[in-house]
Amino acid sequence: MSAESSGGPENNALSELLDVNMPADAEAVAAVVDSISETLERLEVPEQKRFEVALAVQEALANAVVHGCGNDRSKQIRCRLKSDPKGRIVIIVTDPGPGFSPELQPDPKGNENLYADHGRGVYLIRQLMDEVHFERSGSEIMMWKY
Amino acid sequence: MGQAVDGLRQAIQEAVSAGDTRIVLNLAEVPMIDSSGIGLLVRFMASTKQLGGNIKLVQPNKYAIQTLRLVGVLNLFEIFDNDDAAVDSFA
Repeated sequence: MSAESSGGPENNALSELLDVNMPADAEAVAAVVDSISETLERLEVPEQKRFEVALAVQEALANAVVHGCGNDRSKQIRCRLKSDPKGRIVIIVTDPGPGFSPELQPDPKGNENLYADHGRGVYLIRQLMDEVHFERSGSEIMMWKY
Repeated sequence: MGQAVDGLRQAIQEAVSAGDTRIVLNLAEVPMIDSSGIGLLVRFMASTKQLGGNIKLVQPNKYAIQTLRLVGVLNLFEIFDNDDAAVDSFA
């Protein structure tokens, strides 16, 4: 469902649709997700796709709040929504944290992890989006939807 | 995440502490479940089962079902169309 590679769709011809900063606060996530959903609705993106993007963004922002910023409301998270001439969209979430190694995330569908109460966010993003890239040592995630 | 999940966690914990381990969760008004919500559900489903109970779901929408399926936990839950059917299933 998603690929992680050093490459990806060209960034040169991207149009900026949304660029917001939010405090690292769980209660601030919903407003950003709603803004993205509303923007996509104006662009007549189908409902199913809007849902998948919204949930992926929710997961990325939640990770940024909890892991990137340690729930420190004084820290800021940046969220950008862009599109290219072919109608592909990309959401970029950037936090000020030290990053992480996405390849070391355990498989949440493994028997030993099935009943775990955490550890599904990155996996879910990869399932929902068409392409996922991690930059800046993992403190920035780029999620593409075609 | 946030207050929604915290509130649900508190409600379930209070129920279990009071000895109510057979729980019916109506999701009809829930537009989306994220990984933190799923984590809470599977954790409490496992713990209530150990106490002879369970958590059963009512009317999850298609997106909730899709999400539960994507992370491989949909089959862990019993799903019902209404509260009465879920409650009766505990009999």
